[in-house]
Amino acid sequence: MRTKLVVGAALALAAWLLPYGLDSYAIHVVNVILIFAVLAVGLGLCMGVAGQVNLAQVAFFGVGAYATAILTTHSGLGFWVSGVLALAATVLVGLVVGTPALRVQSHYLGIVTLGLALAFTNWVTNAQISGGAEGISAIPVPTLPGVDLSNEYLYYYLELIVFVLALAFGLFVVRTGLGRRLRAMRDDSLAAGALGAEVPLLRMTAFLLASVYGGVAGVLYAGLIRYVAPESFGIANMFLLLGMVIIGGRQSLIGCVVGAVSLYLVREWLSDHPTIAQLAYGAVVVLVVVFAPTGLAGLPARFRDLLRRRRGRSGTAARLAPFRPYTEPAEPSTGTGAPILAISRVTMRFRGLKALDDVSLTVGRGEIRGVVGPNGSGKTTLFNVISGLYRPTGGRVEFLGTDLTGSSPYRLARAGMSRTFQNLRLFGDLTVEENILVALDRSRTLGAWRYLLGPIAVLRQDRDLHRRARDVLDQYGLTEFAGLAPKSLPYGIQRRVEIARAVAAAPSLLLLDEPAAGLNGEEVRQLSEIVRSIRDSGITVIIIEHNMGLVMSLCERITVLASGRIIAEGEPAEVASTPAVIEAYLGDSMDSDDLPSIPEVTK
Amino acid sequence: MQIFLQTIIGGVSLGAVYALVALGFSLVYRTMGLVNFAHGNVVTVGAYLASTFYLSSKLPFALAMLVAIAVTGLIGLIIERVLRPLENRDFDLMLIGTIGFGIVLDALVIMIWGATGRAVPSPVPAAPIDLFGVRIRTYDLVVLAIAAAATILLVLFLSRTKRGAAMQAVAMDHEAATAVGIHVGRSNAIAFMIGAGLAALAGGLVGPLLYVSPALGGTLGIKGFAAAILGGFGSIPGAIVGGLAIGILDSFTAGHFQGYSELVTFLVFTVIIMVRPTGIFGERTVNRA
Repeated sequence: MRTKLVVGAALALAAWLLPYGLDSYAIHVVNVILIFAVLAVGLGLCMGVAGQVNLAQVAFFGVGAYATAILTTHSGLGFWVSGVLALAATVLVGLVVGTPALRVQSHYLGIVTLGLALAFTNWVTNAQISGGAEGISAIPVPTLPGVDLSNEYLYYYLELIVFVLALAFGLFVVRTGLGRRLRAMRDDSLAAGALGAEVPLLRMTAFLLASVYGGVAGVLYAGLIRYVAPESFGIANMFLLLGMVIIGGRQSLIGCVVGAVSLYLVREWLSDHPTIAQLAYGAVVVLVVVFAPTGLAGLPARFRDLLRRRRGRSGTAARLAPFRPYTEPAEPSTGTGAPILAISRVTMRFRGLKALDDVSLTVGRGEIRGVVGPNGSGKTTLFNVISGLYRPTGGRVEFLGTDLTGSSPYRLARAGMSRTFQNLRLFGDLTVEENILVALDRSRTLGAWRYLLGPIAVLRQDRDLHRRARDVLDQYGLTEFAGLAPKSLPYGIQRRVEIARAVAAAPSLLLLDEPAAGLNGEEVRQLSEIVRSIRDSGITVIIIEHNMGLVMSLCERITVLASGRIIAEGEPAEVASTPAVIEAYLGDSMDSDDLPSIPEVTK
Repeated sequence: MQIFLQTIIGGVSLGAVYALVALGFSLVYRTMGLVNFAHGNVVTVGAYLASTFYLSSKLPFALAMLVAIAVTGLIGLIIERVLRPLENRDFDLMLIGTIGFGIVLDALVIMIWGATGRAVPSPVPAAPIDLFGVRIRTYDLVVLAIAAAATILLVLFLSRTKRGAAMQAVAMDHEAATAVGIHVGRSNAIAFMIGAGLAALAGGLVGPLLYVSPALGGTLGIKGFAAAILGGFGSIPGAIVGGLAIGILDSFTAGHFQGYSELVTFLVFTVIIMVRPTGIFGERTVNRA
């Protein structure tokens, strides 16, 4: 912390003194670099943090610059008024460019945003109002009482302040709830949705942020160069910008800034040989992507890892602590009363295949319900229908008395449903603690305006979340893993993290999809203890499991699926002796003595 | 009516070129789930190579084209080999990697051939054929014939040869393909090579139609991509239908919106993606991302 402060202060001082050592050309270069740095931070937020491929950042930049130019020269508005309006226009364009993200991702999104960026350059080169290929010159100098902003040395300070604010705001977003949710969505949008992250809204937020940064950079550019022309906002600059973000390290905003500064300096240094510069940075982009995907920003960590391995200290000494059961049993559990979940006549068809066929199921409050069945019998499909990942072809899903058939996963999650996944869906680039934090954070994405108007409240809330996350980690015995990446942990611990995360979302219904898969005997015993304690704290649990011993000992009622139909339902012993179940599991010629073996698990 | 027909005819030959570009995109995508953003630049390289051998070395047009295809095929192999460590791991990074290659190729083109473009004369007599009052350039017919032949060869390769069948298997399930002993990397490399060859074919053919310049591939690339999406990404009939459709759309927008034709094409394309991301024939798209 102290070193950070010292470094920060030194950097601030250096930035303040920088103009004194530069000639007029150099300060111009620095000014342009700062603009690119703002752009790169915006692109980093959208692409690196939120995972939304955005090849239209340069168009946002262009809209900001052109709008300022048009409003000042054609409409005769003042520079700052135009700037604010231009920013608004950019945000509008950003939201339009972002809408395809609601439907498509990755490559498709890349090409659509690229296409829209090309459409923008096509428009400005042809439209009368934007001055065609010649562009618009004679943009008035921005006015500031007492400061002559036509002086590039003074303009530098203006830019510096804007840049620092922009970077600080970006870092603030990344390190608090909103950024965590964006990163969670980047790592696994399905799991993020199942934890209540409003994925569509978050994707738009990513583009909103990118466009704000693009717009700010555009206004600054218009004020600095006072001339705009189509080629400044063309595809070549888009790729240059992309190179900056990738080489610097897209997931780190500081990395984006470093990338912007270094790439621009190299380009400036090779300014007599622009094609060589282009060749060089293109090649570096390829090399970085293959050999150092985290970019320059990721190098220190890789270096440290390497050093540690050299010294022969691989892995961590962190140990799993025992689970501490929930103390206060909420309301009296094992309840009757209104069912928490009522599924009636649900059918799910995938083209020709009927994965679920007329399935009806009621789960009472406080129950632990087991769902078993042979592979391919539709268990996970049932979970996906319940948790909103699939919209059923027919039938109704009622949760807490309301019909929520076909609701999006995040709505269901916010209504109080939480789940784990068969193949583990932890957020890979977040730490264990952050995984928990994403689940704990129930604030709405629409409440993100508080980032602008009430940053203190955001910070306070975040501190509170951290405290609660520590409690959760402690309860699940995961404290020592808090700062580690989930991928580095043994499988059994990852499973426990996922359960802790699902429960941290404070659900009233918890869906566990094969939580014992891949666990050893001792871990299965712990799991059964954990699940029971979760139920005793007032959460209803539905569990899909192949480990019959676990299911038989844990569940009060069991539902058996086979080929998409419910073939039996009842208490464990009762179900285990149903002929249809035995047939489904063992084939019809078998004797009823060969039941799925009853308790292997010690209590 | 005559103008209408003439506009369609005008769009068809460019449409065939778009279809070839789209085929390259689709072939790589269906095999490895990757969109090759350097594809447009490979088109540029192909166009320059073909025109150089045709104009400077005085090779016959067909031979010049073959040489161009061979060289770009090699480029495709290199791209695939370098990016192979990322295959089936991180698609966003691979996408950016191909953009990096695009930047490199773009720089190389400018270094070798300069930033200014060149016009390529038509290799066949220029007198257009008059058919019921509609004028058809003979070269357009050549383009259509070659594009059709290339498509048929590709389909035959995919359906009749062992290597082609292996590629289809990789497209469906790369893990299962590995399990039965198919070398997935090699299959991807061949897809990339053929894709790049198709790009060169498109670039070589388009030379006499458009002006060959470093910016050529960018436009062709994105239009070819639009065509692939419109038809249904990864689908071969889709690429052809999409290519012709975009070509015709292009020729209408060029007539009605002049300078804004590109803008209109991209907006239409965005709306199509929004409404139906899987395109017309998009049943069997692979999405491993």
